[in-house]
Amino acid sequence: MIPEQTFFPDPALDRAFGVVMALAQEVWVLRDRMAAMEAQLAERGVLQVEKLNAEPASDERAAEREAFVAHLLQNLLGVQQAKGPR
Amino acid sequence: MSIDGRAFAAGQAFLLSAKTYWTRVLYPAVREEYGKSKDLEGSVLYQYFCWLERHLQRFKYSGRYGLQPYHAQQRERLEKSLASSPAELRDAPEYPEYYTRIDIHQHPGGVWSDPIAGFVYERGARSTTPLAGGRHRDLHDRLTAAALERCPAPSRVLDMGCGFGKSTRPFYEALGSGKVEGIDLSAPCLKLAARDATGAARFRQVDATRTDYPDASFDLVTSTMLLHEMPPAVVEKTLAESARLLKQGGRMVHLDFLPASDGFSRLIHFGHGRRNNEPFMEPLAGMDLAALLERLGFRSVEILPFEEADGTLAPEYRYWRFPWALISAERW
Repeated sequence: MIPEQTFFPDPALDRAFGVVMALAQEVWVLRDRMAAMEAQLAERGVLQVEKLNAEPASDERAAEREAFVAHLLQNLLGVQQAKGPR
Repeated sequence: MSIDGRAFAAGQAFLLSAKTYWTRVLYPAVREEYGKSKDLEGSVLYQYFCWLERHLQRFKYSGRYGLQPYHAQQRERLEKSLASSPAELRDAPEYPEYYTRIDIHQHPGGVWSDPIAGFVYERGARSTTPLAGGRHRDLHDRLTAAALERCPAPSRVLDMGCGFGKSTRPFYEALGSGKVEGIDLSAPCLKLAARDATGAARFRQVDATRTDYPDASFDLVTSTMLLHEMPPAVVEKTLAESARLLKQGGRMVHLDFLPASDGFSRLIHFGHGRRNNEPFMEPLAGMDLAALLERLGFRSVEILPFEEADGTLAPEYRYWRFPWALISAERW
């Protein structure tokens, strides 16, 4: 195994940025697939594109979104979720 | 889990868009920063520039949507498609140490060790220069035009380091069947080249430093992006072999990379060599090719910047590009 080249003062950033780029690539692959699915569904009349694209009349998924955000940001608290050694 | 065609194409398209941004936005910004301080030590922008050059290429070949795993999924079909390729291969090829020690372009296993390497390389080469897009073929057509301008109507042409035949094709299309031969070390690439040429050119597994052709066999000897993959001693042997193979008055035309003499061009180009697993970029730039060619029996030596697409040599051109150079000389 040959160690990978590094470019940042802290090699941790070299690795972490790799994770960021891998996730970004996944996001694009998913967006591409979703757009293709929407196009196919709209073509067959299964999907109403205008309804899908319109601003929702109510906050349809507020609770789910807040749970998602909490899951994401609780990492910043630095607090143990189960008691253990410091 | 296998990757479907849409996901592969989208994953690769993402990488190409990122590389295009790197080419058009990050590179000019790095250049501007260098212009101010003449030093990129500690530049965060330059660190990201280098990281992206290294790792977008890694993602391209080895990542989840990489060329290697995607083609490996189709191994059986791809290998079968080469089964009747007329490439002339050696029974027990020996590969030089410099060729096998490093996986050039970050292509896992290099361009030679896996039977499907030619397909991986061919697909990868389509996006080597992000701004060329569908016009990448222009480069090879332009080289062919430049070579035939210097050596009109050759009766025999040798394309050294022909790979999967991308550089050879415009020659046999321009000159017709039976006049062009391509040689390379890579059996998988030669198989693909010979399959696709459908008899218009001959493709043989021959080391360019010691071919088996008689003296004065060719009117024109060419290579494209070959010399920078070789250590200087091998470059010298390749050019000496070019001299031996050419008829008197014949022409040698190699297209390769030679950076301008300024510090920024050299920093970027030599860094590219390291980051792209091509360690001989810098040694090639350090060779006195003009003196070497004259010593080897050439005259009318030309070492010129090469315009790979319209406008790329204009002073106002700001985007990243390879420092293409045409190295040409007449045998006498």
